Amino acid sequence: MVDAKIRIQQLSYAYAGEEALRNVTLDVQANAITALFGPAGGGKTTLLRLINRLNDLVEETSMRGSILLDGEDIYAPGTDVPELRRRVGMVFALPLPLPGTIRENVVCGPQLAGVRDWARLEEILERSLAQAALWNEVKDRLDSPAIALSGGQQQRLCIARSLALEPEVLLLDEPTSGLDPISTGKVEESLFELKQQYTIVIVPHSVQQAARVADYAAFFLMGELIEVQEGNQIFTTPRDQRTEDYVTGRFG
Amino acid sequence: MDSRFHQELDQLRGNVLKMATLTEQAIEKAFKALRERDIELSDEIITRDQDIDLLEMEIDRSILRLLALDQPMARDLRFLIGCMRISADLERIADQAVSIAHRARYLSKRPPLPEDPVMKRLIETSLDMLHVALSCFAKLSVDQAMDVCMMDDEVDELNTQVLKNLMDYMIHEVPAIQRGVQTIITARCMERVADHCTNIAESVVFIVRGVNIKHHCEQI
Repeated sequence: MVDAKIRIQQLSYAYAGEEALRNVTLDVQANAITALFGPAGGGKTTLLRLINRLNDLVEETSMRGSILLDGEDIYAPGTDVPELRRRVGMVFALPLPLPGTIRENVVCGPQLAGVRDWARLEEILERSLAQAALWNEVKDRLDSPAIALSGGQQQRLCIARSLALEPEVLLLDEPTSGLDPISTGKVEESLFELKQQYTIVIVPHSVQQAARVADYAAFFLMGELIEVQEGNQIFTTPRDQRTEDYVTGRFG
Repeated sequence: MDSRFHQELDQLRGNVLKMATLTEQAIEKAFKALRERDIELSDEIITRDQDIDLLEMEIDRSILRLLALDQPMARDLRFLIGCMRISADLERIADQAVSIAHRARYLSKRPPLPEDPVMKRLIETSLDMLHVALSCFAKLSVDQAMDVCMMDDEVDELNTQVLKNLMDYMIHEVPAIQRGVQTIITARCMERVADHCTNIAESVVFIVRGVNIKHHCEQI
């Protein structure tokens, strides 16, 4: 891959001595969707969390190797972690709207980051909701409670909340696992739009979703990166027999 | 234990093999009818073509259902696409058997043309190609797939030679023109059978290796 936004180099990670990632080397290309897929316990979510330094406070862990964002080691001493998390947004499986209105959910991040200009906040609000494919559905009720939105809308609100901080990378951990097919379709559609501007890394909730959205797909098995290929290659002609067995449901 | 999906894939494979067997029998019988001037056998081939058509439709239905319900990937996906192509090729081969049976019916009622060893070789080579192509599919092996593709060139040359021989013959034997034309059509049917055999071999390569060797795009 060229133009790697994120470079993961010989990364190993363990929880209480139990290895979750083993010597993973992976380049994540800018302005593309990279899907990390594989059976449970493969290390996909751990890798996502490490890109956002979400495991910093987890005890009894050990890490070797490095993760570079635009060529800079995000674990180097002196790294500004809040700034890293502004640049690298994350959306989780379960949509968690904050108590408050739709508007408050989106603008709270920029406000905390110091944006005080109301016109600027309105502009961020509309842009973020539009990018998350939610604007048309909520523009007439921005001051309604976010909790009143449907599950699919709540998840897109969480994406909008991440986008409000104008990140460079968006990490999504099974963002549609609890959504119906229509809402899933809308989230996936919004990802296609978002990749023009952002680098997206997704842990999809199914192999089929990985096949639908991935420009590049990386197959993880028991902490090991088995293979990474362009999406349309790995799901039609995988190189490794283990990938073949997994995507054809013959695994285990 | 295999999943329901994989059991259904096995059933599909069984149906394609059944269709292959019926098609191979139809072609062999068509030549027997031609050689032995057997009108009854010709009629049987024409009537029983419907069995092959129905099997093709059943195969299409099950492929459509498996694609829609199971969204298969990798080799399973290639297998389904390959089976869809192969069953279409088999159906077209069976249609050629029907066409040959019609020619056999016509020719059986008229004086025979002199035996042409080139025509005999054309028939044998086409039958060999069919057998090898179907064997490649049955074993899902690409070992002999390239042999089939190469035999196709030989069939093309034999067909041209048959055409030339018959035209030379018809120039001198004007009353034999109608029979000559029917024989040319029979040779053309065999050339088409060989083309479908090549397609089948290419589909097997696609299933097994995931590469497209059609039009010499990629090599095995």
